[in-house]
Amino acid sequence: MVLRIRLARFGNKHTPFYNIVVAQARSARGAKPLEVIGTYNPIPKKPTNLYDDNANARPYKEIALDRARAKYWLGVGAQPSDPVWKLMGMAGLVEPKPTTFHKA
Amino acid sequence: MRNRASTSLSKGKIRQSWSKYNLYNLQRFRTPATANRTFFQQKWTAKATSRAYHGEQVREGQWKRMFSKRIRSVIPMNTTDLAADDGSKESAGRGSGLSESGGRNRSRPIPYTQMAFAPLERRLDVAIFRSLFASSTRQARQFVIHGAVTVNGQKMRHPSYLLNPGDLFQVDPDRVMYATGAPKTAFERRETRQLKQKSDDAEGEEAEAKPEATEKDVKENARDSLRALMSQAKTIMSTDKDVLPAKRKQELRGFQKAVRRVLSRSDTSTVLTDSLEAQFSELTLLLKAKRTEKKPAKESKKEAKEETTATATKSEETASGALSEAFQAAAEGGAVDTSELTDEEFDILKRALTQMRDNPIDHSKPYATPWRPRDYMSAFAFIPRYLEVNQNICAAVYLRHPVARPGSAEVPTPFGESISTPAYGWYLKRRW
Amino acid sequence: MAQRIQSRRVSNALLPYLTSSQSSSTSSISSTCPSSQLFSRQFSATAAPQTKLRRQMFQWLSTEGATLKHHIPGETNYLSGRAERDGDSNEAPRPFPGNRNFLSETVLSEELRNEVYVRVVEKKKSLRAVSVELGIDMKRIAAVVRLVEMERRQRAQGKPLALPYARAVHEMIPTTPLAQEGERQPFHEPINDLPAHPSTGAQIFYPVPESRSFTRVDAGRVFSGAPTLEKAVADKISHPSDLVDDIIENPNSIEWVGKGKNARQVLQPADVRIPHPQLVKLELDRKAFPNERRTVAQRHAERLEKQEAAEKQRRELAQARREKSIQHVEPERSRFEYRIQDAKFTKETVGVDGRAPWAPGRRYGIPAEDRKRGMVKIPTRVEA
Repeated sequence: MVLRIRLARFGNKHTPFYNIVVAQARSARGAKPLEVIGTYNPIPKKPTNLYDDNANARPYKEIALDRARAKYWLGVGAQPSDPVWKLMGMAGLVEPKPTTFHKA
Repeated sequence: MRNRASTSLSKGKIRQSWSKYNLYNLQRFRTPATANRTFFQQKWTAKATSRAYHGEQVREGQWKRMFSKRIRSVIPMNTTDLAADDGSKESAGRGSGLSESGGRNRSRPIPYTQMAFAPLERRLDVAIFRSLFASSTRQARQFVIHGAVTVNGQKMRHPSYLLNPGDLFQVDPDRVMYATGAPKTAFERRETRQLKQKSDDAEGEEAEAKPEATEKDVKENARDSLRALMSQAKTIMSTDKDVLPAKRKQELRGFQKAVRRVLSRSDTSTVLTDSLEAQFSELTLLLKAKRTEKKPAKESKKEAKEETTATATKSEETASGALSEAFQAAAEGGAVDTSELTDEEFDILKRALTQMRDNPIDHSKPYATPWRPRDYMSAFAFIPRYLEVNQNICAAVYLRHPVARPGSAEVPTPFGESISTPAYGWYLKRRW
Repeated sequence: MAQRIQSRRVSNALLPYLTSSQSSSTSSISSTCPSSQLFSRQFSATAAPQTKLRRQMFQWLSTEGATLKHHIPGETNYLSGRAERDGDSNEAPRPFPGNRNFLSETVLSEELRNEVYVRVVEKKKSLRAVSVELGIDMKRIAAVVRLVEMERRQRAQGKPLALPYARAVHEMIPTTPLAQEGERQPFHEPINDLPAHPSTGAQIFYPVPESRSFTRVDAGRVFSGAPTLEKAVADKISHPSDLVDDIIENPNSIEWVGKGKNARQVLQPADVRIPHPQLVKLELDRKAFPNERRTVAQRHAERLEKQEAAEKQRRELAQARREKSIQHVEPERSRFEYRIQDAKFTKETVGVDGRAPWAPGRRYGIPAEDRKRGMVKIPTRVEA
């Protein structure tokens, strides 16, 4: 049985919202996971234009992550899926994968 | 949402609007009679009357869910009184005749029930209307839906957004000017159409016409032009009511032209700039330069003739030598005129210039230009204390929720307690 | 159509100089003249019936209501009339004749706003100090600083401003002016407003022996259902404002009563809950040292400094904690910034069964109420 750390989609049509979950690899996306360790909102938010220094700030995406639990699950051999690997790589929990190169 | 709630005279309902029909309804409104009416009937009438004003755009069910029987109130505290004792004196001997009557704490009653519709004042559309950014709540609602309103810098398209204390909302200044300004007359509308047609046509004609005009202007006497400028500025700034608006507008247009003419002489590059901002800065700069020239001349010789000062400044100009020929000519013309200008006149000219920059004639705008407040606006103009408004940028901060205090309530309502109390009573009792 | 014709005619008769260029030609016709109305109706193809009410309205607008059409700069022009205002001139004017309880209160004038900005931003004074100096609420001061800063930025960027509108509004509504040199600055609003606490709404019968002094501190405890203070503790408090120091140092030091859902903090006396508790202390000092103004001023300054330092430290701590919990990542190959917020998904935060409604993230097995009647489906707050 493989444990995976993966995204479970919530939200409505055109407004995705993901829970970062630890689940059995063969279980359904919407099934109850072993544990929820975080959330990921892929819809970018614009920083407010009320302040000067925000003038050329990037739009941001929000991630919430329980680092302690994530480390534990990685320690017992849970495998992050590709999107989660990307998120965890940014959080510094795993080594980021080298970016793939596409044919031109 | 279709507007079923028009301001009709026959119903005589009071709305959140600046229309003159509403003003008339407000003026002839009388408190409904209570004699021979059951308590239920009284409450029903009170509810119907006050709901026509408060949140008429909100469905009844929605409002009922918003209603809260808890009313916020504050007591202004006096620090001297607080420091005077620890409260034990007031509690001592209660019930044994020691309580003093008519002490210093005697204050006016708090009009609690006037706050019955306070939750509605949190709505974004109502807050925009209260900040005098729109002429009715319906219009404020339209501004929000059309995307002209931001809350904390983010576009907000929900008129029913409930503002939180500290929220900053801003409306597009052009929309505000449109909402609060006088509407265009038929004449102005026609001019707008013509302007539109002109801009649609080829712009080559204009380019041809312009050099001719400037050539003509150069031939004109500089002194005459500035004198004309002066007189026009005076008429513009005069607060005399006898001046017809059409006349005033003519003068303003003439003034604008004259300014352009003066500028055309000062520097060739500014002739073609149509932006008022650039014109204004150029002209003020020119005026300032003239002022500085004038002062030393005054000190040296008070009774100096026009020509002498002119030559003096001329020689100065030539001495500096670095300026272009065009500017020199302008300075020459200007120097002659400035010696005639008194301080007062200078002030008037400056103010006229400022007015022209801030409030220009611009037929592309959807309101009558130069901007003036719409009729009957002043009868409705007030800003409640729970909002802090900056009119220059059309932004406001919702400071806190409205509160009641002894003698006054912050929720703006045209109805007295004889209506608000039964209305509050109606919503206190759950009937749904 | 008929409506427009009618209104123009009336306004022309009223103020011939105000509308368009056509005004001068028609201004001679009187609105109240019945024959002219007949005349217009006969020749109008789309004549709307002129009701009695409309006639009355235009009559009123041309007579009593005529003054309301245009304002006089520097004066309010409400329906309740100028006559009433002359009677009690120091009271704020009432815009609605039917409501005695609503006042059109003053707003800050342009100069006063700029003065507030100068004092706070350029002279680096604290909000608290400026609030006491000018008699303006602290929240309003903060808002003014934000707005003026925004205005300056927009001016610098050359964005369009509504200057004629601003001028007109300030002519119509009462304003608090900035005092000239040597004058006393008029206070804008009461700054020590005590909000009525919900728990004081109940009427409580609480017998107290006459021999005991029952202070504001005791009253607050009774209202919140806390046991009476022990005598040793109570004797230490000579005045209710003695409690202020500890609470400023640590706002969490306020005692709690009740359990679970009913847990609440003990209601503090007014001396503590007002926005400027230091002013009570100042008054006490003035009473204690009537002839030593310098001592009083010095003690006041010290207290103020201490209070501001404590508040600043708390603010900075909170800010640091917030920033520490968020990691900002800006990947090179991405257009976006990622904000990674530390979260704790434990039994406390997500409930025993992991389904607590307050838990972060979305939950399985709990009904989604986002389409239910009465639920708020639009944003409830916007991040500043």
